Amino acid sequence: MADEPLLDSLPQAVVVRKRRMRFSVIWLIPILAALVAVGIAVQRIRSQGPVITIEFKSASGIEAGKTFIKYKDVRIGLVSAVELSEDYSKVLVKAKIAKHSAGLMVADAKFWVVEPRISLSGVSGLSTLLSGNYIGFQAGKSAEEQLSFRGLDEPPTIKDQPGRRFILKARELGSLGVGDPVYYRGLQVGQVAATNLQPDGRALDITVFIDAPYDKYVTAETRFWNASGVDVTVGADGVNVRTESLASLLAGGVAFDSPDYLTLTGPAAENHAYPIYRNRVVAMKQPDPIERRFVLYFNESVRGLSVGAPVTLYGLRVGEVTAVGLHYEPSTKTFRPRVLITFFPDMLIARMNARQQVDNAKSLQGLDAAARIKLLRQMVDERGLRAQLKTGSYLTGELYVAFEYVPNAPKVKIDWTMDPMELPVVPGGFANIEAKLSSILTKVDNMPLNAIGSEVKDVLSSLNQTLKDADVLVKRLDAKLVPDLAKTLEDMRAAIGSADRVLKNTDSTLFGKDSPAPQDLRDTLQEVTRAARSVRVLVDYLERHPEILIRGKTEEKP
Amino acid sequence: MSAAMSKSINGTMTAAQMGLMSCEACQLLSRPSSSDEATYCPRCGEHLEFRRSASIQKTWALVIAATICYFPAMLLPVLVSTTLGTSEDDTILSGVAYLYTSGSWPLALIVLVASVMIPLGKLAALAWLLLSVQRGSVKNSHDRTRLYRLVAFIGRWSMLDVFVDTFTVALVQLSPLMSVAPGTGVLFFAAVVVLTMFAAETFDPRLIWDSADSPTPSHG
Repeated sequence: MADEPLLDSLPQAVVVRKRRMRFSVIWLIPILAALVAVGIAVQRIRSQGPVITIEFKSASGIEAGKTFIKYKDVRIGLVSAVELSEDYSKVLVKAKIAKHSAGLMVADAKFWVVEPRISLSGVSGLSTLLSGNYIGFQAGKSAEEQLSFRGLDEPPTIKDQPGRRFILKARELGSLGVGDPVYYRGLQVGQVAATNLQPDGRALDITVFIDAPYDKYVTAETRFWNASGVDVTVGADGVNVRTESLASLLAGGVAFDSPDYLTLTGPAAENHAYPIYRNRVVAMKQPDPIERRFVLYFNESVRGLSVGAPVTLYGLRVGEVTAVGLHYEPSTKTFRPRVLITFFPDMLIARMNARQQVDNAKSLQGLDAAARIKLLRQMVDERGLRAQLKTGSYLTGELYVAFEYVPNAPKVKIDWTMDPMELPVVPGGFANIEAKLSSILTKVDNMPLNAIGSEVKDVLSSLNQTLKDADVLVKRLDAKLVPDLAKTLEDMRAAIGSADRVLKNTDSTLFGKDSPAPQDLRDTLQEVTRAARSVRVLVDYLERHPEILIRGKTEEKP
Repeated sequence: MSAAMSKSINGTMTAAQMGLMSCEACQLLSRPSSSDEATYCPRCGEHLEFRRSASIQKTWALVIAATICYFPAMLLPVLVSTTLGTSEDDTILSGVAYLYTSGSWPLALIVLVASVMIPLGKLAALAWLLLSVQRGSVKNSHDRTRLYRLVAFIGRWSMLDVFVDTFTVALVQLSPLMSVAPGTGVLFFAAVVVLTMFAAETFDPRLIWDSADSPTPSHG
């Protein structure tokens, strides 16, 4: 304690507070936070692919931040914004594409909205019912990068598959639509890929895609036809129903084939253009290079005769009706049906057998006009070649033009210099029957039926008198003749009784136990039976094989 | 102490200015030990300091860290909900927008205030407190103290978003029909909340009054 003043007098050490400005450990926290945040930002930016713009007509089911772009069911992008174009006519869909898919954004890549589609040829996009629409993507082949695209209105029916496209030129689409099947001999080998109106609006280009193994069957000669629905042709040939498949029956489709009569030149080039025919018959019809036109003036109704109706020679088709109209005859002031027909010499030749075909092809086709007229004249004047209307189907009343040689046809005068030439006709078909019927009716009408009736009455009354006379006669016969007749019968019975007795005696003599006659007779009868059987067999055989009378019996093969 | 109190209600004298230490737990005033060792409250044993050590620096660090985290918290998804194969990212702001567009604007307002504005407000408040202390501002000391109390009080409530998120994730697991997964954003959001809470803790409100009167030795 004594030291205290001393100690107190000592100066106190100055406490110098350290300025604790040294780096505190706590600064690691913001540094760490900054590092993490920057890291995430960098990673986000690095993983960010390009932003593309797709132009759609409408943004059905597309939502920013929710709609994905999928390629082969892999998400490659996400719609980031949906906005209208500057003129409000289109929808611009902006989408962020994943970095790894950035290389897919090339000039010919395709985008379309995948939504549930239910068509007759199938149901697609069902998954989108639950998950919402998405944007489908199809990779392109181009190497040129692009960031703005025009979306397709329809999903492309043709995905990445080998095959070739062909163009069909049609006047109208009918029941065809994108995605409709293309058939080859009933087998589905492709699809309708697109339908575009030509710029001038006068025709349609239907693009069909034929899958790879089958595209080689499409040659320059191939014919395409509309297989839509049922093709019911009611013609003079009868009713024809034809369809490619049940699906095409409902939905439509295109079918193609090459006519058998043409030599095929091998697969056609891609985008080769073809016409599309109405139906198979029209499509496969042989082109008829040589055609001769004739005109027929009928004197009967041509109701039921339609353009395209067949012209036949003895029932075989050799041409067709090209026009049906009226002809005014100034001299008689009458109208007559005027039927223009086209005759195809090739069809006629095609009906002949091979040798005749070769022989006649040149002579028939090579004839000059004068020689042809001469030949035709001979046929008409000497052989009586005449045209007549015949009923092809009584059900529909379809008519066709039939040429036949009518031996005793009335002579006609024909101006052979006309073009088209007129050919003579005779009434035919219903008209013929009608004419005959009406002539019969006229005859019946002309009969003096009343006179006949009164005569019949007279005859009947005299017949009545005759019968009465006959009655008297019979009664007289009854009275006089019958007693005599009874006596005669009595006598006859006695005579028969005697005869019976004689026969019995003979019987015992001839067929008695010891008599040889029965045995012989039995043998003979057996012989006769056998002979009869043989004859039956022979007759049977003859019935079955009457030719053995001429050829003799051939050895039968089992 | 009594001299300080009698001098002015404005608190022109602080305990530190009088060379006394106040216990933060039991408020006992004690004279500092002469040694340089750490000192403790003779009554309750709390660690005694004139001012929390490096308070301003630490608070700044935490505020800056929270500010950094605030951006990813707002920009990154907090919930990734997958409905029938379609996953959807939801950020806090998109949730607010959704609530607003779907008609429930009061709810949208609540979320906006609680999850967006309050964290931001806390950061701004702390930054202002720090700046004012560093500048030695003498104005609005009362208001600033009140603000500090508000920041310290409100801190824990901000965790609501994180709780909701966690519950949703735990409850909605109807895979494969629908499932919900937490997004990265929620981590950052939680970080913002936690960091601001710590920042409020490390900030020493007594610093507000240090510069109320005379220039004081810096303790920052």
